[in-house]
Amino acid sequence: MATSEATPAEPVLYEAHKKIYPRDVSGYFTRLRVISLVTLLGIYYITPLLQWDGRQAILFDLPARKFYLFGLTLWPQDFIYLAALLILAGLALFFFTAILGRVWCGYACPQTVWTEAYLWMERKIEGNHNQRKKLDKAPTSAAKIRTKALKHTVWIAFSLWTGFTFVAYFTPIDVLAEELLNLNLGPWETFWILFYSFATYGNAGFMREQVCKYMCPYARFQSAMFDSDTLIVAYHPERGEQRGSRRRGVEPATVGLGDCIDCNVCVQVCPTGIDIRDGLQYECIACSACIDACDNIMDKMSYPRGLIRYTTENSAIGKGQKILRPRIMVYAAILLLLSGSLITHVAQRVALDLDVIRDRNTLYRETPEGLIENVYTLKILNMDSKPHRYSLSAEGIDGLKLVSDQAEIEVEAGSVFEMVVRLQADEYNLEARSVEVNFHLQAQDSNHLNASREARFVGPGSS
Amino acid sequence: MPSLIPDGIPRSQQAISVLWPSFIVAIIASGVFFSAFDPRDLIPFNLDIDISPVAAYSIGFLLFWLLASLSSFGTLYFTISNCRFLNKQRD
Ligand code: SF4
Ligand code: SF4
Repeated sequence: MATSEATPAEPVLYEAHKKIYPRDVSGYFTRLRVISLVTLLGIYYITPLLQWDGRQAILFDLPARKFYLFGLTLWPQDFIYLAALLILAGLALFFFTAILGRVWCGYACPQTVWTEAYLWMERKIEGNHNQRKKLDKAPTSAAKIRTKALKHTVWIAFSLWTGFTFVAYFTPIDVLAEELLNLNLGPWETFWILFYSFATYGNAGFMREQVCKYMCPYARFQSAMFDSDTLIVAYHPERGEQRGSRRRGVEPATVGLGDCIDCNVCVQVCPTGIDIRDGLQYECIACSACIDACDNIMDKMSYPRGLIRYTTENSAIGKGQKILRPRIMVYAAILLLLSGSLITHVAQRVALDLDVIRDRNTLYRETPEGLIENVYTLKILNMDSKPHRYSLSAEGIDGLKLVSDQAEIEVEAGSVFEMVVRLQADEYNLEARSVEVNFHLQAQDSNHLNASREARFVGPGSS
Repeated sequence: MPSLIPDGIPRSQQAISVLWPSFIVAIIASGVFFSAFDPRDLIPFNLDIDISPVAAYSIGFLLFWLLASLSSFGTLYFTISNCRFLNKQRD
């Protein structure tokens, strides 16, 4: 669809991608960030290894259609909880964005987490930003090929590990590991491991900040959650300008300059390649690298820190920051309400379900004793992580009798039990051709575990 | 006057704008769909197909992705061709 004939003379909105070589940085926020990134990576890779009650603690068991979350087993019926959880996560993102700005981007987004991990490997293998740039510009040589090959091997190995871990959220990791060692991974498992590995390799190794710039929906609409009291990374132009170079130890005022020495370090460290001194830009992922970088320069110049700093629009113009503002309180209220109701619902969730299907082949039958009989198939779903024994009863008609071949109803943990029962009633007690009856199932070892389901009882009809 | 839509959007970004939103839609669609339906109950015409659940979910997801991609592709195609048409009219 892109045409060869149409080469617009106007400036193109999409500039050609220039590879960014972020310079290394150290400092308070960088440390904070590394702690956050390493913790999150750790959680991702370790979670599938956790065990609970003899099974994987967190597992989307697709074949069995169950989701294990530590002690909780969720069934497709419980989809609503998962949906609520996702909505909650979205709201939490709104809430934190309104207060803290794009902390998510800088400290927690998987795109950032893996990009930083891949950058770290790149740095270890190819050296600092200048060495990396030089290597890319250098003509092909045996040494260059060796370094590049090493980097990609390490990257690919890490990607494969990532893909493997991803699939281990859906197929138990011990099964997966065994299949892998015996080289008999299923075709779809193989497909998804490779798919996810490739996505990681591409996104963290090559696409990097372009994902934030061109693909991230959050980056596009986060500004809607911002207000003048939202935390942002900002340069202090009144203090910094007129920028310009000077010798160390020179008092800026004496040479008619501001505090910015125009060393460009803040631009060099920026993983998205922007200049924070141009003001707030949507490319800025608030990674705070430029804060640390500039603070280090200020220290060297013996100027006070904070020429680039975390601030809010209001405090930048001397208005002081307000944390509790209407929008925050509304987000907080909705958040509390929703999480409260989710928690109560999950806590009160009855891990038992009863389904009643009336036999469709015969409307009713008469027993030798002259009673009217209806046949039902009951499906009992024990969603608990323990086996239970249940007692079954039925009511709705005077003298209603429940007959079953099954003396005992015992259902294994997390399984469905099917049984056929018959209801018998005296025709005199039937008030209509079709009467509502109610089945009631009660666990013998827990009052809280019970389920009811209504059904129709059909008779010959009053005449 | 600048053209309405940059014809110069690189191919790779066009591909992303088709494949990426549809990927997200496919995740949501398969999540909702497969919560409601067990793939084992869905084999059409009582065909005797022996298919593993993982395969069924995977194929389901890929089909959703394909469908959503077609829609994204349509949007991109019409946007670009309409803008090209308007640009030509204006010239
Ligand atoms: S401008 Fe600063 S905070 Fe924003 S992305 Fe660049 S380095 Fe990070
Ligand atoms: S790091 Fe600080 S001093 Fe250096 S150019 Fe950036 S704002 Fe100016």
